[in-house]
Amino acid sequence: MGASLTKSRFDVAFVVRMIGIVLFAYFFFGFMLLPCLNTLTSIFTTTNAEGVRDPFAVIRFFFAGSMGRYVWNSLKLAICLVVTVNVVGVSIVLLTEYFDIKGANILRLGYMTTMIYSGVALVTGYLFLYASDGILTTALVNAFPSFDPTWFSGFNAVLFTMTFACTSNHALFLRNAIRGIDYNTVEAARNMGAKPFKVLWKVVFPTLVPTMFSLTVMTFITGLCAMSAPTLLGYDSINPEIVRLAGSSTADEAFPQARAALLSIILAMFTIVLLTVLSAYERKGHYLSVSKTKARLQKQKITSPVWNVIAHLYAYVLFIIYMIPVVMIIIFSFQTYGAIRMKKLDLSNWTLINFFGTQDYQYLTSRGTYKVRKGSISGLFANEATLGGIKMSFVLSILAAALACLIVVIACNYIFKNRNKKSGVVLEYCLLFPWLLPTILICYSYRTYFNAENIWYVGNVNLYFAEHVRILLVLAYTVVKLPFSLRMIKAAFYAIDEELEDAARNMGASGLTTFLRVKLPIILPSVLAVFALNFNALFTEYDMSATFASSYGTSYAMVIQAMCAEEGLYGYNVNASGRRCASTVFIMLVSGVILYLVYGVGARDLGERLEARERRRRRVAKLTGLFKKEPAAVAAEAEEAAVAAAVPDEPGEKL
Amino acid sequence: MIRLNDIVVKFGDFTALHGINVHVKEGEFFTFLGPSGCGKTTTLRTITGFIEPAEGSVVVKDRDITRVPIEDRNIGIVFQSYALFPTMTVYDNIAFGLKVKKAKKDEIDRKVREIARKVDLSDEQLKKAVSQLSGGQQQRVAIARALVTGPAIICMDEPLSNLDAKLRVQLRNELKKMQKDFGITTIYVTHDQEEALTLSDRIAVFNKGFIEQIGTPNEVYNHSQTEFVCNFIGDINRLNDDTVSALRAAGAEVDASKHNYIRLERLHVNVAPRGGEIALDGTVESCEYYGLYIKYYIHVGTQSLKVIEKNDGVNIYDPGQRVKVILNPNDIMAYAPSAEEVE
Repeated sequence: MGASLTKSRFDVAFVVRMIGIVLFAYFFFGFMLLPCLNTLTSIFTTTNAEGVRDPFAVIRFFFAGSMGRYVWNSLKLAICLVVTVNVVGVSIVLLTEYFDIKGANILRLGYMTTMIYSGVALVTGYLFLYASDGILTTALVNAFPSFDPTWFSGFNAVLFTMTFACTSNHALFLRNAIRGIDYNTVEAARNMGAKPFKVLWKVVFPTLVPTMFSLTVMTFITGLCAMSAPTLLGYDSINPEIVRLAGSSTADEAFPQARAALLSIILAMFTIVLLTVLSAYERKGHYLSVSKTKARLQKQKITSPVWNVIAHLYAYVLFIIYMIPVVMIIIFSFQTYGAIRMKKLDLSNWTLINFFGTQDYQYLTSRGTYKVRKGSISGLFANEATLGGIKMSFVLSILAAALACLIVVIACNYIFKNRNKKSGVVLEYCLLFPWLLPTILICYSYRTYFNAENIWYVGNVNLYFAEHVRILLVLAYTVVKLPFSLRMIKAAFYAIDEELEDAARNMGASGLTTFLRVKLPIILPSVLAVFALNFNALFTEYDMSATFASSYGTSYAMVIQAMCAEEGLYGYNVNASGRRCASTVFIMLVSGVILYLVYGVGARDLGERLEARERRRRRVAKLTGLFKKEPAAVAAEAEEAAVAAAVPDEPGEKL
Repeated sequence: MIRLNDIVVKFGDFTALHGINVHVKEGEFFTFLGPSGCGKTTTLRTITGFIEPAEGSVVVKDRDITRVPIEDRNIGIVFQSYALFPTMTVYDNIAFGLKVKKAKKDEIDRKVREIARKVDLSDEQLKKAVSQLSGGQQQRVAIARALVTGPAIICMDEPLSNLDAKLRVQLRNELKKMQKDFGITTIYVTHDQEEALTLSDRIAVFNKGFIEQIGTPNEVYNHSQTEFVCNFIGDINRLNDDTVSALRAAGAEVDASKHNYIRLERLHVNVAPRGGEIALDGTVESCEYYGLYIKYYIHVGTQSLKVIEKNDGVNIYDPGQRVKVILNPNDIMAYAPSAEEVE
């Protein structure tokens, strides 16, 4: 508009837009489309022993050999997980939100521990307890000599671990869905003579169906794409096999790269089909409550005493399963290596050595002499390898989390300005594209595609070589986090009242000023929350760095994994298990603080922040007033009195 | 002061405004009135520059501003939602426009406090977040924010529609007083006819992208130029053919080929007809009790006529009671049927 009057501004905007489009196209084609297409085509470019191209060799191999086993194993895990995760997930939500169970608040905290404790940290935690030399297994074998100490391995172990590890989504979304139920509908059903379980089945469950469906699809995909649990617990599913094949060479087996590509494409096809079904289903719309005045759900008492006792028992058994690893790990993180090795709590001997400082380790050699290894017992923050992993993950995650937020904020601003045009829609779908692809496909594609010196658009540099792999890791982290960031930040943009933008423009602000001064402050809490959640997920990320499998990109999670294997070898890493426990405690602390900041502090608006500041100021004024009655303090008191006097006039309805 | 010349606005294939012509005088309180979707807000947004017209021009003080960017127009606006910035304090909200214009710090402070005093916002309230204020206080912030940069015109887009009924009436009076005090040219958009009639110096009644009538509240109400205006503003009786015949038989000059209307308060019950007035026989059907007044439904001939009587304890009639309805034929507003009805 106003071309003649705003010529210079128009030109700048045009240049900026052009640069934006070029940059975006560069990243989309260069780092999303081409690597993945390369993986797809590499399936059909295998050569046979004579050096002749044989496009369908891998496919024939797939049907002739044992590759199908990996796909079947993954499917089996996914199907079983759908059942077990839904059963446990629905149980924990009903037990804490729907039924009147004593101690529901404590139970909820226990069930929610998977929010701060997941991935490798959780799997190694379970190993620590349940592996053949684990604490609980040892205790069980001591108590029942006939108990099989290897019970926790393979499929059973993966299913058991993931069943409890994957209920976080249920705890979040199903809880919200249940809280959204209009209690009047429950009362109406009861009034018409339905028993509590009948109400649950006929009135409550149908409203949860859409959420359940989404959760089921997500759980299925999680099962298919499982990485850390099968790798650490030893189960032959697709992902660990892809990583193994990617590192293999043609000297050892037939076209391993092409087989890895085929497996990742199979995984991608499953994911795409499932997500298409899911989004088609979501587009059909949800059952929304039609009532204008919703009544808050009240917890249902289980009237039958027998069922009540059973429900309580069930709730607390689940609670124990959730809590035991957490409690044990926290306790053992403060124990000496001796106690950990003997799997025996030593209540008289607590230590911080697993966190800070180093100690020497003295041991008896086979020649009967004592030898000392300097500093081979070391704390999490004193151990070079661990610290290196923490630093690596910290820097890469911060970069990627920030990059994803930056890209998405700029894109969202564009999408909202052009939401009725094709370009806005195209941009949105481009950013959602990585959602369709399993993480491993993206990482595997990066690994193979950029492991070459002839990619012109990155300056013919081998990005997989040496430290360069960190660039690839940041890029992979960023790409994988784009869809989530987009969905969250887009929702924040929806919350901006369009009239705010008009108001700012009306008062003379330019487009850029309006964005920086008005829109950005509004979405900033959401952006920071997304940044924090991205960081939280990436900081302990395992799947991607494991796929890259480069010693230059050893992330924190990989260091933790390594600690499972190296313990005490030749007198090195003596307290690896202790440090592993300490690492888990550290991760739980970091995640806990982040989640508190995001959902606790970050959710406050300006009014609440001002009130909190006012309260702090008054408290400080009171304290200083106690010690010295100086003019400043007196003035502060007078002001305080004025504020207090002004309060009753406030119409506010602060909660 | 401000002139809209033949403004045409199109959204794709849909023409929202068909050649709008308005002339608002300096210091005037001018209201755009109409049902939702009639084009009144579109016209307002054309003045502020949020919408660029396909044809026509916007002229303020003899300067054509049709293509001037929004931020350079110097026209204040108060939004329906107030559009207060939730991330800023009240003070920062008001200071925003001055800061953007790079005014000096002490000047900003002086102006913000000055305008805050005028709209009755305390220093304590200036420090608060907008979410800590009540609806009425928020509205005053929105007005202060729109006025602080000293705009030539202030536009208000249904600023009272978010408030409850009582506060609405109270703020309506405050609004009028403020406008008088500041003497600022005001363009006001509303669908509430009562608001329009009480506040405005002049009203433009919009319908389907056209202006039906521009006039003072009295002109618009008592001398509605079109059938739409007389139906939209206030309550009214349409006289059916039998009633018209009866009036003609009684010697009144009423055109039977037209649509004839009469306002409720222009019908009287059981009073002595003065010169030129005609009495019709009727029966009270029912009544609606409003407190201040009572609305009677009186069956006259083959139709029901609505009549307003002040609730003064005198004019009380029971259903079934036979009464006389008195009217002056000069109070009848007549409109030629529209083209499609004639066919």
